[in-house]
Amino acid sequence: MNSHELNEAIRKSLAAVVAYADELRDLDQALGDGDLGITISVGAKAVINALEALDDSTLPADLARACAKAFANANPSTMAALVAGGLLAGSRVWADKTSVTVADAADFTRAGGENIALRGKAQLGDKTILDAIAPAAEALAGSDDAETALDAAIEAADRAVIETTALQSNRGRASWLQERSIGLQDPGATAFLRFLQSWKSANYSAERTS
Amino acid sequence: MRKIINNPDAFVDEFVEGIELAHPELVKRPGDDPRVMVRADAPVAGHVGIVTGGGSGHLPLFKGYVGAGLCSAVAIGNVFSSPSSAQILEATMAVDGGAGVLYLYGNYGGDVFNFDLAVDLAELEGIRTRTVLGRDDVASQPKERKLDRRGVAGILFAYKAAGAAAERGDDLDAVAAAAEDVIDNTATMGIGLSPTILPTTGQPSFELPEGEMEIGIGIHGEPGIHRGQLEPADRIADRLLDALVADLELQAGDSVAVLVNGMGATPLEELYVLYRRVHQRLTEQQIAIAKRYVGEYATSLEMAGASISLLKLNENRLALLNSPARSPFFQEG
Repeated sequence: MNSHELNEAIRKSLAAVVAYADELRDLDQALGDGDLGITISVGAKAVINALEALDDSTLPADLARACAKAFANANPSTMAALVAGGLLAGSRVWADKTSVTVADAADFTRAGGENIALRGKAQLGDKTILDAIAPAAEALAGSDDAETALDAAIEAADRAVIETTALQSNRGRASWLQERSIGLQDPGATAFLRFLQSWKSANYSAERTS
Repeated sequence: MRKIINNPDAFVDEFVEGIELAHPELVKRPGDDPRVMVRADAPVAGHVGIVTGGGSGHLPLFKGYVGAGLCSAVAIGNVFSSPSSAQILEATMAVDGGAGVLYLYGNYGGDVFNFDLAVDLAELEGIRTRTVLGRDDVASQPKERKLDRRGVAGILFAYKAAGAAAERGDDLDAVAAAAEDVIDNTATMGIGLSPTILPTTGQPSFELPEGEMEIGIGIHGEPGIHRGQLEPADRIADRLLDALVADLELQAGDSVAVLVNGMGATPLEELYVLYRRVHQRLTEQQIAIAKRYVGEYATSLEMAGASISLLKLNENRLALLNSPARSPFFQEG
């Protein structure tokens, strides 16, 4: 995927993910402070605007950096800061590449997840966005075909959302609910799943969309 | 709610503008964002910049300590809310004199997330940063978890030391080390007697029955370690001082700086009643007081209450405290 294709794919995915803003707001109102919906909707729009201003000579790593800055500034929530830090960490993996492969996407996702774990002091099973990112990164690494890898990542993230619902939240505001968080679906992990699903629906033909 | 405000949503922008209008020789706004304030002569070429920041509602913290010999810039959040990473980055770029920038602020989750992101953003701009967190509130965590403590009034000592080190031309690692060394030797504990009223909601930040006090309270009204009947000033001073002396393991022959800080609604007279007892008790224990500060240094809007901070001194720390400094709310020399 060259820079032009990547720019377009991100913009199309984010235009689609905005449809999930109300769902994410409602999930976050139950477990957090309810600002995830606006973080996603305002953030997605800000990233789309930032990417539209960049030409095709922009390196993929610089696209990711532009995404990070725009997302962090749109609504400076904790989630926005963590995601932006993850994007910057991913951009370092890409360094000077002029196009990116599925394997590069897997490396980017893994590096982003590790940065979120570090900054958010989160571990797998703490019931955070990390629980969806880490298995999705593994799944992306499992195939050279983009659509096959994406389908596997969606399946892995979906499983993580379902499985972590039964767990207790251990990080962030959600952790203040302690055992009352058990049974509530994690908004951060759900947001990452919805982003992957949006990438699929916005960039691939309908026949293979599950 | 009885407050001297206009539109509550404009409260922060308006008081920041007031500070800039009152002290144009000391501070300025580097760009269009009213939430970034830097010292009037920034950037100082060849010197380390010091960026602080955090939520509003704590004046003189953080905005009041921007000036020569103190912080170079502040990124300003809403009341009790973090500034954004973009504001921190703008402050960083406005004060970078080519020698790197120290991030020095209190240990609160939202601030840490946004400052850490600014670290990454500054790196992309080619600016090297170091981070040192204020974490002096002994009531917020036991000593074995001291790295997780909240930052409160004692960060003043770190501002003073780091600012003096930067002013004399120390490099970034040395300025960070000066700040870290002071924070490692600072301990603070406070009491609250009445809550803060948040301007946007009109609601008190916590409930405290008449005649009671909260010992170990944070500067956002975080609960402390003990709630009980209000006691005489000397008993309060003893409680706080004993905890601080134990935490810093002070002994006869040691020397300290003392900060008796008002939380916003407590009169200076009461602070001096506290200082009197602190002075008597330290003197009895043969602990010398080399520097003393009594007044409002870190508040919580109109919370009534006070905190006491001690910094264990050595020759180096005392020299840094005694170096000249000049900001809207703090002068030395």
